[in-house]
Formats: sequence, C-alpha cells, structure tokens
Amino acid sequence: MPETGHALTLLFAKGFGLFYLLALSVGTLIYAFWPGSGKRFDHAAKSVLRGEDQP
Amino acid sequence: MVAKLTRAERQFALILLGLMALCGLVMAAGANDDLFALHGGLILAVAVGLSFLVISGLDAPEPPPERLAEYYDAPSRVAIVLTMGWALFGLAVGDWVAWMLAYPHLTVDAAWASFGRIRPMHTTGVIFGFGGNALIATSFHVVQRTCRTRLAGQFSPWFVLLGYNLFCLLAVSGYPLGITQSKEYAEPEWYVDLWLCVVWVTYLVLYLRTLAQRREPHIYVANWYYLAFIVVVAMLHIVNNIAMPVAWNHSRAYSAFAGVQDAMTQWWYGHNAVAFFLTAGFLGMMYYYLPVRAQRPIFSYRMSIISFWGITFMYMWAGSHHLHYTALPHWVQTLGMTFSLVLLVPSWGSAANALLTLNGAWHRVRDDATLRFMMVAAIFYGLTTFEGSFMAIRAVNSLSHYTDWTIGHVHAGALGWVAFISFGALYSLTPALWGRQRMHSAWAVEAHFWLALAGTLIYVFSMWNSGVIQGLMWRTYDSGGTLAYSFIDTVVAMHPYYIARAVGGALFLAGAGIGAWNVWMTIRSPDTVSQPAGGDRPLTILAGE
Amino acid sequence: MFGLHYRLEKHGMALLLGIIFVTSIGGLVDIAPLFTIDETVEDAPDMRLYTPLEVAGRNIYIREGCYACHSQMIRTLRDEVERYGPYSLAVESKYDHPMQWGSKRTGPDLARIGGKYSDEWQVAHLIDPRAVVPQSIMPSYRFLSTTGLRTDDLGLHLKALSRVGVPYTDEMVTNATADAIAQAGADGSDGLTTRYGEATQARLFDGDPGKVTEMDALIAYLQILGRLTNAAHANSPPPGE
Repeated sequence: MPETGHALTLLFAKGFGLFYLLALSVGTLIYAFWPGSGKRFDHAAKSVLRGEDQP
Repeated sequence: MVAKLTRAERQFALILLGLMALCGLVMAAGANDDLFALHGGLILAVAVGLSFLVISGLDAPEPPPERLAEYYDAPSRVAIVLTMGWALFGLAVGDWVAWMLAYPHLTVDAAWASFGRIRPMHTTGVIFGFGGNALIATSFHVVQRTCRTRLAGQFSPWFVLLGYNLFCLLAVSGYPLGITQSKEYAEPEWYVDLWLCVVWVTYLVLYLRTLAQRREPHIYVANWYYLAFIVVVAMLHIVNNIAMPVAWNHSRAYSAFAGVQDAMTQWWYGHNAVAFFLTAGFLGMMYYYLPVRAQRPIFSYRMSIISFWGITFMYMWAGSHHLHYTALPHWVQTLGMTFSLVLLVPSWGSAANALLTLNGAWHRVRDDATLRFMMVAAIFYGLTTFEGSFMAIRAVNSLSHYTDWTIGHVHAGALGWVAFISFGALYSLTPALWGRQRMHSAWAVEAHFWLALAGTLIYVFSMWNSGVIQGLMWRTYDSGGTLAYSFIDTVVAMHPYYIARAVGGALFLAGAGIGAWNVWMTIRSPDTVSQPAGGDRPLTILAGE
Repeated sequence: MFGLHYRLEKHGMALLLGIIFVTSIGGLVDIAPLFTIDETVEDAPDMRLYTPLEVAGRNIYIREGCYACHSQMIRTLRDEVERYGPYSLAVESKYDHPMQWGSKRTGPDLARIGGKYSDEWQVAHLIDPRAVVPQSIMPSYRFLSTTGLRTDDLGLHLKALSRVGVPYTDEMVTNATADAIAQAGADGSDGLTTRYGEATQARLFDGDPGKVTEMDALIAYLQILGRLTNAAHANSPPPGE
C-alpha cells in the first residue's frame, strides 16, 4: 500500500488542524473575556501612560 | 558606550572580538574561494575596528553602581542612528534600481551593478537594516518601560545590536560580490545565517530575562508581539536556511530542500517573515507608541489579545497563497487561500483598535505630525491586509501574480505601514532618549510626513496600474484566438509607470533624508530642557502612583 | 520575592511556549505532507541529472539573482501554457536545491527556455540584450564571456548535492571537473554521455573554442531548462481556466 503514508499524514494534518483552530479560538475568547481579566487588562492598558520617562 | 561597561565586561568584549578576528583570519587565509576570503577579511576588519574602540575606553573608570537602577538606553540610541543610516541606504538603492528599470542603459556596465545583484541589497537594506534596527531600538525601550525594569544584561544588548548589524553588513556586501543563495528574502549564505542564529538566540534570552524580572504583574501586550516576532523569526530562519555547504571554507551551500518542498518551505518562511518581522514586531511598536503619543489607553485591550492569537495562529497557514496554480498540491493552495481570508478578521481588529484609540484625540492627530505618521500607518495596515486577503483568492491571484501588483502591495505595506509606524515611533523616541522636549524641527517632521505620503501613494498607484495592465495584457486574445501581445509588448507598456514609481520612491527617500537630518540635529542640538538628575529610572515607587 | 519572581518567569515562558506551539502547527500541516508526496505525484523515470557544467551554470543563475525577474514555473492557466509551453510539474524541479520558481516576471518565464533559441542568440542577448530585443530592459551580462569558469571545485559541489539527496554517483563526483570541460568542448566525451545520458548536449556553447567561460556554463544551463524529463509533454492537456 504505497499511498498509506501520505494519506494518513494528510488526514491527520487536515483533521487535527480543524480541531485545533476551534479549540484555540475558544481558548482565546475564554481568556480574553474571563470575568477576572477585565481589571488586569484595564490596568495594563493604562500602565503605559503613567510614569513615562520620569525618574 | 564602552565607559558604561565594567572592566570585566570590557575584557570580555575584547576576548570576543579577538575570537571574531581569529575567525575572520581563518576564513580569509583558509578560503577555498575568493568570495569567502573577502568576507573573512571584512569580519577581521570589523573586529579590529571595534577592538580599537574598546581598547580606547579600557582604562576608563568603573561605571557607578547606581546605573543599574536606571533604564539602559545607550543601545537604543545607537540603534536609532543605525536605523536612519540603513533607511537612507536601503531607500537610495531601491530608488536606484527603480530608475534602472525605467532607463536600463543608464547604469554602470559591470558585474556588480546588475539589477539581480542590487535588488537584494535594497530588500535586505530596508527590511533587515532599517526595519530590524528600528525593532531592536524600540523593543529595548518598550520592554524596559512596560516592565519597569532595566534590560537584563549589560553586554548582551550590545552583542545583539552590533552582531545584528554585522549580519546586515555581510548580507548586503555579499550580493554585489555574488554571494547569495537566491532564496527570496533569505539570500545570505550559510555562514551568515549561522551567525544570525547566534545573535538571535541571544536576543531571545535577553528579552525573556528582562520580562522575567519585570515589576508589573501583567506582561503588556506590546511585549507579546515583540516576543512573537523574536521567537518565530528564529524558527523560520533556521528551518528555511538548512543547507549543506560545499566545504567549510566555501561560500556556497545547497539548500536541504528541493523543488515543491523547497517552494513551500520558502513561502512558509517568506510569508511569515512578513507576518512576524514586518507585522508582529511593528504591531508591538504601535501598541506602545500610539497610545503613549495620543495619551489615551488602547481602545480595547481584549481586542489586542484576540488579534494577537489570531495573527499568530493563522498567518502560519497562509504561505501557500504565493503558489497558486503551481505544481503545489491543490489542497495546500486552498488551505492557504482560506486562512488568508480569515486572517482579515484579526488584522482589521488591530487596525480598528488603533484608529478607535485615536477617536477623541483627532485634534492631536491634526496638530502632531508624529501621531499622524502612526495614524496613516494604521490605515495602510488595514488597506494592505485587505488587499493581501483579496490577492490570496485564487482567481484574483491568477491575474496579480508575477506582476507589479505584488510589488505595489508589498510597498503599500512596507512604506505605508512599516516605515510610517517606524518614523512615528522614532520621532517619539529620539527626543525622549536624548532628553529633549521635542524634535529639533517640527516643520521638518511635517515635510517628511507629506513627502512620505505623496511618495507612497504615487508608488502604490503606479504599481497597481502597471500590474493590472500587464496581467491583463498577458491573457488577452485577439479575434483569431491567439495571444494578442508578445511579452516585450507588455514590458514597453510598463515604461511610464516605472518612471512614476521611481519618482514616488525619490519623494519617499527625500522625506527620509529630511528625517535623518532632523534626528541628527535633535541629537546634536544643545540641551534645552534641564536633565533630570541621575537619568531615567525604573523605580518601584512609580508603580504605586 | 524569589517565589514571586519564579512565578512571573514561568508566565513569560508560558507565553513563549504558547507562541511556539500555536505557530508550529500551521507550518507542520502545510509542509509535512509534502515530504510524503513522492507517493502520490507523478514520477518521471526518464528524469536526468544536471551535468557538472549545468550545475555551474545554475550557480551563475543563482549568483546573478535571475529569479528577481524571471520565474521558472508555468501555471495551469491557458494563456501561460500557450505562451510558455506545458505547465510545470513538481517532478521537474525535484533536483533544484533551491528551487528557482520565482515570484515576479519582469522578464518572461524561463521554465521551458531550453532549445527555444540558438546558442548564438543566447550569447548575443546576454552580451547586449537591446541589440537583439531593442525594447528590453534586461542588464548586460557581457562579463560572463570573458570570465573563466571555475571547474576545479565542481566535485565538491556534486558531493554536497548528493548529500542533500541528488543521486550523483562517486564516479560522477570524481569526474566532475573533466566532464564540465568536456561538455564545453567541441566534441564532448564518451564518459560524459555514459554518465549523464546520450541526450547530453556537448558543444562550444559560447562559440569560442578558447577557455571554458561562465557564458558556456550559463547557456548550457539555460538550454537544458525544461528538458530534464519529457513528463510534462507526455501529460494530458491542461485543465484550462
């Protein structure tokens, strides 16, 4: 069966890729919208504006 | 710069330079071909030159220990000067080759001066020389300010900066001599690639160690982008450049990959060099300097994080859109096309985030050309990513590929996005790092802005026109069902656009010239502001404000 | 203090690992299957190797950065097939380390340039493109006809190529220099044709019986482009677009 190797790699590549895309999107969204992270993000966003270049 | 190092660090620098000189000497003396010997000589010369610099400062007094409580900006200062130098060089060479295409007889009749050898000098000069130095200068600055800590190394920042510039020098000096592996945007030969690996790993370690000693609980998003830039460029560079040298003392090597595998690896590299060198790194720049300059926090921090993972994830799949209708398997082409389209979502997320941050600060955009540079950059980023996704559609690509449309697209990104955000960041950074209140001449920043904008628009529009026209001419049939135009007919049709393009490039170059003058005058002009005693310090008290 | 630092450091490392993980997948999915592709794409039993002189010529093509203006990839589009010949197959560049498919056609595609023009035309065109095609914007490569070709290191080149998978035999490696000189001579040699096939073209490519020049090598390479195998011509007609 000369084609098995390629077909298997292909199946894995395509199948896993799709699963991975979905999992990653969900993971990212959960991280970004996790109730606790809002405050941290606000703090980070404002952090660059204060104390800029002052000793 | 030497005086800021301790005695032990100076001695260490001398030892390294000694090793480097030895390496150059062995390369020059043991070379199997003349080109390798020439590069050995160049490495030797650079090592000797830098050694003189170190020796001249060897007996300077030890630097005060208090310096460790301050930010370490000397490497960024040198990087800014190098950035402007490479900008002028790369843009000038680019405009030169542009005129060469319009008037091919107006050139030196010598081997080194042909288009094929000079064109990579332009691409390497602007991408790696200008872009790379701008990224190093700003990443060193941003990581310290956002982490409120000093760089985690006294010597390694210099190693990274100067080592990187040695890489650029070896690359750019190699092409006119004929040292190239002709892999697009990865032209340097194997030994230059190996050197970049060493430099880049040092850069990554330095960056990670600085992040590790930060005094902020959260890593600010700009650092995410910079980190992605550093680590992914390392991956891309190493994989794409795996090669077998003809001999240890020979400049030529053969790529480990061939044919269709090499094509896919090359465009996986080429496309993601765009993604992580020319996009992620400069997005890091944007996410710091734009909010700071506008004095407004980023519109949506959440969106910046979602875009980050979107870009990191999806760009990697899109490389195959460079190979539509080729011998690459069809399913890989389709995969690349699909992801290129989805990629528009995080890309526009970033562009919109930048523009919405400015919403409410439009008066600043009107009055401050520096901020306007960044705004135009965000607009061009949005336009270029849209165009990129559009061109990745197979049917569109059948027309645009191999034509100047690609060149126009690349320059919309490189001039409109990369150069604009860089100049914006440099105009913010230069006065700050030299303790000046503002750039030497506000008028010169305005002039630079308008020249750069006019130059970019002329360039991009002329290339869009010539690309579409040539693409259409190639596929036009006459009533008899045969091809209507010979290839040379289409070359003749390009002539007016090539002139327009060269004019646009000249305007952009003139703007950069004014910018370089302005940066230089800002550095040289006497202190108008009283310097805060002791310099710029990352004190923890600040965090509690 | 150290505990806190440790956790923060882990945080940075976590980000790093996240980036590496996320970015590796796309590349693996795109590229990995291509390395098992030999099992599914066309095979070309008649595929021959580049001779040492053609390797040297290919290296000149690479050195001069010809890829910046010339592609070597005919796409599966009707107008391209009619203009340049049968569309390119993957197998045709399987010995190309690295490939020179290119990304821009400031000049025409060269994938099937071999045999399309005479040696004399190629020499005249490379010396002064505008003498042959008045509107051409190609640079002159006059210096190629006066620069002697380096042949003494060709064995090393073939050896390196065999290390990355091109099936050069030890005999080919040993005779690389002699084969290159023979191919650029008027009569070739028996050894050359035994090693690389009867169809190997041996002649004075630059028309000059004097020394072997870089012009000889480059034209030998250009004249073999698209002629390493007949597979593309044997293929069924293109799908059209």
